[in-house]
Amino acid sequence: MFVWNADDLDADQVNAIEQLGSVFLSACPGSGKTRTLTYKIARELSLLTSDKQRVVAITYTHRAADEIQERIEQLGVDTSQLWIGTIHSFCLEWILRPYSIYHPALKNGFRVINAHDTERLHETLCAQRGGGLSKFDCGHYFTPVGYVINCDHWKRAGVDALLQQYWQELCANRQIDFEMILEYAHQLICDVPSISILLGSIFTMVLVDEYQDTKEIQYGILGAILKASEGKAKAFIVGDPNQAIYGSLGGYAITSTEFSKLSSVTFKELNLSKNYRSSDRIVGYFENFNQLTSKITAEGKFKDFSSVISFDCSTNRNALDAEIVRLIRYNIETMGIPPNEVCIVGPQWPLLASMTRQLVVALPEYSFSGPGMVPFARDIDNFWYKLSRIILTVASPQLYIRRNRWASEVITALELADVNTNTITRKSLLRASNSITSHSTDGLTYLIECFDALFAALGVDREASPMLIEHYDSFVGSSQKRINQLTATGTAAIADLDMFRKVFDVKTGITVSTIHGVKGAEFEAVIAFGLLEGMVPHFNESDKIAAANRLLYVVGSRAKKNLHLISEAGRKRRGKELYLPTDTLLACSFSYDQET
Amino acid sequence: MHISRLQLINYRNFSRATVKFEKGVNTIIGENGSGKTNLFRAMRLLLDENLLRMAYRLDDRDFHRGLGEWRGHWIIISLEFTDVSQDETIQSLFLHGVGNISGTLVDRANYNLVFRPKASIRQKLAELTPGDTAALAALRQEIDITDYETVFTGKSSADFTDPTVYRTLVGDFEAVTFPSELTPPEIGGIVPGIFSISREIGFTFIQALRDVVSEFQNNRTNPLLTLLKGKSGEIDDAAFAPITDLVLNLNDAIEGLDDVRTIRTDIRDTITDAAGETYSPKSLSIRSDLSSEPDRLFQSLKLFVGEAEAGYEGGIHELSLGGANLIYLTLKLLEFKYQKVKETFANFLIVEEPEAHIHTHIQKTLFDRLNYDDTQIIYSTHSTHISEASNVENINILGRNGTVCEVYQPSAGLDSTEIGNIQRYLDAVRSNLLFAKSILLVEGDAEEILIPIMIKQVLGLSLDELGISLINIRSTGFENVAVLFHDQRIQKNCAIITDLDKAFINLMPDPLDGEDEKKAKKRALGSQTSGQKRAISLTSFSDGNKWLSTHFSDHTFEVDFISTGNSAAVVSVVGEVYTDTATIALAKADLESGDVAKFGKRVLTMARHVGKGWFAIIVGKAIKPDVHIPGYILNAIFKAHGSVSDEILATIIDYRLKVQIQANGVLPAQVDPMRAQLARFRTGDIDFSDVRNEMLKAFPHDRINNILATL
Repeated sequence: MFVWNADDLDADQVNAIEQLGSVFLSACPGSGKTRTLTYKIARELSLLTSDKQRVVAITYTHRAADEIQERIEQLGVDTSQLWIGTIHSFCLEWILRPYSIYHPALKNGFRVINAHDTERLHETLCAQRGGGLSKFDCGHYFTPVGYVINCDHWKRAGVDALLQQYWQELCANRQIDFEMILEYAHQLICDVPSISILLGSIFTMVLVDEYQDTKEIQYGILGAILKASEGKAKAFIVGDPNQAIYGSLGGYAITSTEFSKLSSVTFKELNLSKNYRSSDRIVGYFENFNQLTSKITAEGKFKDFSSVISFDCSTNRNALDAEIVRLIRYNIETMGIPPNEVCIVGPQWPLLASMTRQLVVALPEYSFSGPGMVPFARDIDNFWYKLSRIILTVASPQLYIRRNRWASEVITALELADVNTNTITRKSLLRASNSITSHSTDGLTYLIECFDALFAALGVDREASPMLIEHYDSFVGSSQKRINQLTATGTAAIADLDMFRKVFDVKTGITVSTIHGVKGAEFEAVIAFGLLEGMVPHFNESDKIAAANRLLYVVGSRAKKNLHLISEAGRKRRGKELYLPTDTLLACSFSYDQET
Repeated sequence: MHISRLQLINYRNFSRATVKFEKGVNTIIGENGSGKTNLFRAMRLLLDENLLRMAYRLDDRDFHRGLGEWRGHWIIISLEFTDVSQDETIQSLFLHGVGNISGTLVDRANYNLVFRPKASIRQKLAELTPGDTAALAALRQEIDITDYETVFTGKSSADFTDPTVYRTLVGDFEAVTFPSELTPPEIGGIVPGIFSISREIGFTFIQALRDVVSEFQNNRTNPLLTLLKGKSGEIDDAAFAPITDLVLNLNDAIEGLDDVRTIRTDIRDTITDAAGETYSPKSLSIRSDLSSEPDRLFQSLKLFVGEAEAGYEGGIHELSLGGANLIYLTLKLLEFKYQKVKETFANFLIVEEPEAHIHTHIQKTLFDRLNYDDTQIIYSTHSTHISEASNVENINILGRNGTVCEVYQPSAGLDSTEIGNIQRYLDAVRSNLLFAKSILLVEGDAEEILIPIMIKQVLGLSLDELGISLINIRSTGFENVAVLFHDQRIQKNCAIITDLDKAFINLMPDPLDGEDEKKAKKRALGSQTSGQKRAISLTSFSDGNKWLSTHFSDHTFEVDFISTGNSAAVVSVVGEVYTDTATIALAKADLESGDVAKFGKRVLTMARHVGKGWFAIIVGKAIKPDVHIPGYILNAIFKAHGSVSDEILATIIDYRLKVQIQANGVLPAQVDPMRAQLARFRTGDIDFSDVRNEMLKAFPHDRINNILATL
């Protein structure tokens, strides 16, 4: 059985791991949630009694899945009976693909279109139909009984009609998007009870990470499987209701009672409330936004660090970049914090993209990773994106496990694309990839030449697979578009091969991200801007105070040492009115540090 | 769970065949070349890990030759599993991959290998204008084997052997209509590459090996090594460490031998002497290089068996072939047992022709004992001894019809009583009928003994050479066995020969009749009546069944034998039946009387006197090439055999010419002109009616003319 070193885990973590039954675990920021999950999976894998059983772990992102899998492998545990991935991958691999012939819309085969394609289709439809709709209005998600459209009330009828047309077009092309993956999986689960019975007896445990961002339809799918297993499959549900920031996409923190009702699983409710990340002062600060009764204590090595926590609502938006440059220099040059431990967060991608570009110009001696710095579409389900990861990285001991996994993902994707992969192994793929080369310094040209060379080396005709063609057009097209866009706004170097390679480099630079994007991450210094009512929280939120609390909780709890909050002045709303600082932030009374 | 059905479409010598299997032990019976090996190969492509790679390497030679142009066609190998349950956890992963859901249950599973043109070609076929045969032919010309792909599917609902289904899913090559739907759900869902059926079930294949010894000597195929690896999976390093140490010590000890050390020193000295210090190697040593690797060491393991002499165990190569085979089979069975210990919920053991492995005496008991739980055993055989041990419901018969192999289920569509009746008849001798190309059913010993002799004497061919098996039912219960031959079951000709038992004495009551006469008449009337009834019921039984024919003797075989003109033959053996001269004379007179009431009564009295079987043997000795074969028997023979090939006709005539020389004292020179005609017939210069006329002209009294006249 899997055992761990005494100081790997604390008593609460051990208690959660050693429970024999199902667990509903609330884990505060920095409490070692991922570590607990990792060890729980490792232990569960080592307890398997048959090679016909599987442990399933649902993570919020592919990156989280990769990291957990890597950590388990580093613990020396065989992961061949672990399935880990996002709920979308889960639905595709375990429900849609194996049981497609039982769904009228899927039985003749289907292709999954990515977020980029969805956006493009929405854009086209908006232009076609008029009515002042934009692609940003088309956000929607399915529930067990229907679907919810996110946009303003008065636009909903228009969006509804647009979506009907959108679905019809997809259906005619035998395509499905990410939302439909969930919808169809849910339909199959409801209509064909055998699926849940079979899956329920294959899985010995279903682990869900970040449950607070899980949608009702996802709870429905997992609940049905757990229920059909009649107690054979246990559940391990982990998350933090305080960090539920995907409400606008339908995510919410279910209670253990509600989920018990859905799944017939009896839960033991447990808490992890020791924060090993931040200083006492940081914990004390973000506790202001804690909406639960649990009390969090700082227990980590920075417990006694005298943190700087500043709140600035006077800097004008025109002087914002200069102020952020000043804060970066202060943290790195004065405080001695390494650049990769500094993070800039803002509420929206467009704001961040222009901020990144300004920072790149103002601080040429530092490198940045953020939006506007990735020269191609980060579309994890695109075959060519998957292949790019291997082509753009160099074989090294550090990357060995990761590249191996990427290679098997590429092979699986080839199979799905109807390519005969009989003669291709991970080894042969990596060897072929390591041996090919191109002399181009232009990133996209380099990639295209390597794609061609690699396919020639493997003896695969990519023109024979409609899926590969479709993915190729999407990948190259969106990358070219993005490069053109970025070059036009002054980031000429973006097209260089070096910039391409950097995407998969081990992070060395300053991170620029949205609040949603830093979920789960941690930095010594966090600089947040755009903390303005209407952005944080988003104007669409129904419960604005709760939403603001959660966002501020997430921002605050990312910091280990220093936290700088900026509600810049002078940013204009659409109606020429000015944005004001977030109400909840203003309402928080705290003895901020003054000028640093 | 067990395999309930195997379907083969366009695979090797199968055009479209369905093989049905039951739980437990199943038998596949067939002569050589009937497709047994190909049938097993097809199953192994789906189930045998060792052959899985071959599934991706099918090529044009794997297409059924009867297709003619294979381009565009599909090969489909489909396995159906029944007795599955979604409530058994151990089956879940398997059913997740291939289980068919119907309603709220998973009632069976399908696993298919589909070898078909890639989507781009299927698309092009779909785009053809219906009826445009020229365009289809042109497109097919472009297709080659690299345009084909192998896919595995599960959960399929289609019956691929149904020609209509095939046309719908694959296309109609005559009408030039091809489906526009490239991903029809009926062929099932594509099974992902990660799903491995061989990991879910246990599968062991025992090949019909004729050269077991070399198998033992080859390290890759040596079953002993496979066992060692299979038992423990991996070799336990800790347990092996002391052995490794021993080997290393051994190496040291060898290197340390005085002689070895002396030689080393001497070599060095000699080199130095010859080449001088400067040019000599700097160092030189002699090392003992016994491997301490477990894999290498295990290769030195050999099985020794004491076969005959007590106290002496010899290597496999010293064993008799039968002994080596038995050991080989045993080790394979053990391998199977080990595999069963691993967690598999269904195990399949496929044995190719066990008679090639083991002595007939062991064969019979073997399959009675091979009765493992959760195990389905399928073996092929052409041994009657083994087939007898299996249930007729678990038998598939392979038959060859030209280039096409067909599969028959002898019990298809029969009720349990009928199956029970068949089962009782299939003892060692009669199970021959499952192997035969055609069948002659007779009711008694006399027919069984005399018909083969008559045929051999007159035609010069044995029944075997004619492909006819003669089965003695020893009663008149023909229906019980004849029911096997049917469109639904075994599609082979079966001719039934039986007696009408018409009375040959005057049945009119005579006031002068004594008690004996009265009884005899009564008995004869009874036989006649039941004979008529039997004839009526047999005729209606076989009516409308093209595989069955009925052939009646008027009275009984012995009586009709004489009626046909063979009284002389019987007369010649009277001396072996009676010793009393008066009786002998009386018997001869009766037999030669030409009055059926007299010779009929006499011949039956003689047969009763010594026993019918013995009488037949005695008469058999008197049968010569000029014997008259009763017409109903000839009809039966030719009805069962089917149309007679020119080759056989030529052989028969050639034989009759020899008979002319040997038995009738004709000079070889007199035969030569007819031989020349026969040669012309063989080369096709003249046809059968010509050669028949020539024979009639040349030897008008030869018996064969009458027979040839009927063909």
